[in-house]
Amino acid sequence: MPLPSSAPRLGDLERAVMEHLWETVPSHPDGATVREVLECFAGERQIAYTTVMTVLDRLAKKDLVLRERDGRAWRYRPADTREALTAATMRRTLDDMDVADRRTALLHFLDGATNEEIEDLKSALAQLEARAASTGEGGAGSPSAQGPEHRRSVKFPRLRR
Amino acid sequence: MYAVIPGVLLLLVIALSGPLPWLMARQHMFRRSPLAALVAWQAVTVAAIIAALAAAPAAIPLVTSGDNPNRHPGLLALVGAVSGGMLASLLLSGHRVGRRLRILRARHRELVDIIARHDGQRTRVLAHPTPTAYCLPGRHARVVISQGVLDQLPDEQVQAILAHEEEHLRARHDLLVEFFTVVHQTVPPVLRREEAMREVRLLIEALADRAAVRVAGELPTARALLTLAGSATPEAAMGSGAGASTRLGLLAAGKPHPVVTAIMYAYAAALVLAPVVLLALALTSG
Repeated sequence: MPLPSSAPRLGDLERAVMEHLWETVPSHPDGATVREVLECFAGERQIAYTTVMTVLDRLAKKDLVLRERDGRAWRYRPADTREALTAATMRRTLDDMDVADRRTALLHFLDGATNEEIEDLKSALAQLEARAASTGEGGAGSPSAQGPEHRRSVKFPRLRR
Repeated sequence: MYAVIPGVLLLLVIALSGPLPWLMARQHMFRRSPLAALVAWQAVTVAAIIAALAAAPAAIPLVTSGDNPNRHPGLLALVGAVSGGMLASLLLSGHRVGRRLRILRARHRELVDIIARHDGQRTRVLAHPTPTAYCLPGRHARVVISQGVLDQLPDEQVQAILAHEEEHLRARHDLLVEFFTVVHQTVPPVLRREEAMREVRLLIEALADRAAVRVAGELPTARALLTLAGSATPEAAMGSGAGASTRLGLLAAGKPHPVVTAIMYAYAAALVLAPVVLLALALTSG
């Protein structure tokens, strides 16, 4: 389980614990106790029992894990697969925001478009491309010109500040 | 003649809240100079606030009719209560909106931090084939894109999208949207214009698009717009008006004549000055 090298923040721990739980779902469908999660991290760095408990409690409050009592301890398991959570986030139904709130909270690159609008877009782009071609500047790199590269890293040339 | 000033200020508040935004949203020339246009929109809003706060103080000389206002403590208290109440309700609304947004963003950020792949300090990649991109503004800002963006778009378009989102974060466009949202919600629903909010949203997108053009070029930015428009989910289109095609049109239109931009700034300055001058006239007329 990769943990950040220096002083892990709670958020990083939450992520690491969540990933551990997702990975161990096949072997432990009932979930893991705080002690089991702690043992898994034991070799890599010193984490307190209470820290793991806090992290799991926070994940439970965020509805990312479910817990069930098992004797004196709780057993924690993921509320859903990572894929399902990602899909839900993409649909933006996970948060209980109404449309106006969501549009103010998150600034989207594009807010969606109607079919007529996409037709408008296509003809506007064609005009731009024609103009670029006539002035001789690059028409290369059309959307289909390059194949997909799986999991390639994000390159961002301009430095901030 | 100065007796009409409080009335004029009230009329100004009404005009700046409804009819003028309606008219301005129709003047598409503003969009060609998004920065100046945003300043003009802010001027409308600030002028409306000043006019609303100034209306009661402007009426003081009417009531005292030349008398020293300090000899009418009751009147001063009343004026203070009216203007102070307005200011307080505005600030309260600002506090509420800001708090709600911070909570929503923090919740979403924590979720994305857990489920998405971390790519650098603040870029997060959601493992989903549908191309989408957005940013979460604030102190712990995030740029979120989906794997679909990386898989389906060539590098230069990815750069355009990232430059667009980074510009939102760098220029704190969220604070502008927040400011307009607060004032918008304070205006009575019968008076306020949805066009105003839509126009402001369009203008900040146009500004971010320009940053994308500077980094990645015009065509990649335009193509990225088209690709993401084509893949948007139906729910995402809900409640959104014209956007993508207008922005593409603006990319093609280029900058207006500097004189046009200068007029926009002068217009903005005049708007803010109007209620200030009116109040000064009323108070010195006594």
